[in-house]
Amino acid sequence: LIFVSFQTVCRQLNSTLWLNVGGRSIHSSAVCCKNRAARIRVGKGDRPVTYEQALHPHQIAHRKGWLSQHTSNLQGEDGAADRTVEDLFIRRLIYGTFHGCLADELVIKRRGNLLVICALMLQKLPPHKYYFLVGYTEELLSHFYKCPVKMEIQMLEEKSVYKYL
Amino acid sequence: MAASTFCPALLPLLRINCKFNGVYTRISLNRRAAYSLGLTASNGVERQGLPERGNQGQRRQRRAVEPRTERMTVDQDWTAVYPTAASFKPNSVPLPVRMGYPVKRGVPPAKKGNLELIKIPNFLHLTPEAIKKHCEALKPFCTEWPAALDSDAKCEEHFPIQVESKAYVSAGPSLRNPNARIITLTVKLSSLNLDEHARKKLIRLSGERYNKDTDTLTITTDSCPMKQQNYDYAMYLLTVLYHESWKTEAWEKEKTRADMEEYVWEDSPSQKNILETLLRMRPLGEKEEEGEVREELLGRVEVQEYKDSVTKLKNEGETETNMQQYKEAVKKLLNI
Repeated sequence: LIFVSFQTVCRQLNSTLWLNVGGRSIHSSAVCCKNRAARIRVGKGDRPVTYEQALHPHQIAHRKGWLSQHTSNLQGEDGAADRTVEDLFIRRLIYGTFHGCLADELVIKRRGNLLVICALMLQKLPPHKYYFLVGYTEELLSHFYKCPVKMEIQMLEEKSVYKYL
Repeated sequence: MAASTFCPALLPLLRINCKFNGVYTRISLNRRAAYSLGLTASNGVERQGLPERGNQGQRRQRRAVEPRTERMTVDQDWTAVYPTAASFKPNSVPLPVRMGYPVKRGVPPAKKGNLELIKIPNFLHLTPEAIKKHCEALKPFCTEWPAALDSDAKCEEHFPIQVESKAYVSAGPSLRNPNARIITLTVKLSSLNLDEHARKKLIRLSGERYNKDTDTLTITTDSCPMKQQNYDYAMYLLTVLYHESWKTEAWEKEKTRADMEEYVWEDSPSQKNILETLLRMRPLGEKEEEGEVREELLGRVEVQEYKDSVTKLKNEGETETNMQQYKEAVKKLLNI
């Protein structure tokens, strides 16, 4: 019995090896059941971290608010996926347009048709450049999403530090 | 040195030249000057447009402007500061708000640069003053409620049909909501011109849509894609129901006792039984016409009372009063 089973196992191994020509197979290690989403791990104590970064995602609705507000997540409402995709696109676009100038995450609010993007910015660029970029994003996004887009930016000298991790 | 033919790429060359000359002059040219030399004769025009890079260049000191809150008076017009819905601006709101979870042995973070205050919806644009201004602005567009309709009963009397529809507002580029097409039409049957037969027929035709306790017929339509179409369909259904209930079809004559909505005492087994009992109770010897005896018996007061009590019991169910009434009626009939 043992001999027969060994034969079948050999055959199976042979067949799999023959299929994986070149000798590439899956390697797996032990599972690490650790949650790593949106978390900055505690370090030496020299890394400044904002309130948004310091509080982990499980603190949302306890000590943190929501970065994006719209009615699609309510009971019986449609369009949640569309709004989420829009949000992601807007965040990436603005991260790239105002590269290095953003002090913190964007806050996106929707009031009916109107899309309001609230951003905290550092004083990296001269004001006239900021005005141009804000107008440019507003125009571009309003043409893209066919709805009025407004940006409300606030300037800071430096990032507001909550704690050092 | 030929300044006009200078170009920034030659900057390292310049240093080499200097060294070559034996005089190691460290030419501290800032980058702005290097660029400006390439284009125009530099007059020391300060360009702010270049990002400063560490030790080279002088950062133009931007004077920190004091926030607007310092110059706000106590009796200012707040509706001018927040005329419409806007996010929280710490330099425009003269309140020392703090928001957030405090650090250990610390306080909640201040309002400057506080993202939490920006995240939440604020109602700074809806102070009582602002709402008064809104109302004043809306008044020219409003009309008075008609003085004749000062009670619910009058509204019911003049406008018996009530139509309900819902409009939906949501955040998003589209304002279409498929649930907005549903129409609910309610009408009290007492306000319609119906006789007994028409009323019973209408109730039968409407089935579940009729509420016996409130005597209302409710028609809900959502089969058409537009609200107007659903409204027309609901009115059409009401019209059809009304007219059909007034008509009497040929097959309605075949209505049996089992089809009756409520108990009717005439020609019922109860009537037959009581008549037989009373006939048997009569003393023997009197030979009279059956028909006359029946008429006479039915005309008696006790029999009428018995009829009322039995009808009540069957229609309304068994209650204390009904049972008492039945007991009294039977006792009187049988002379107990």
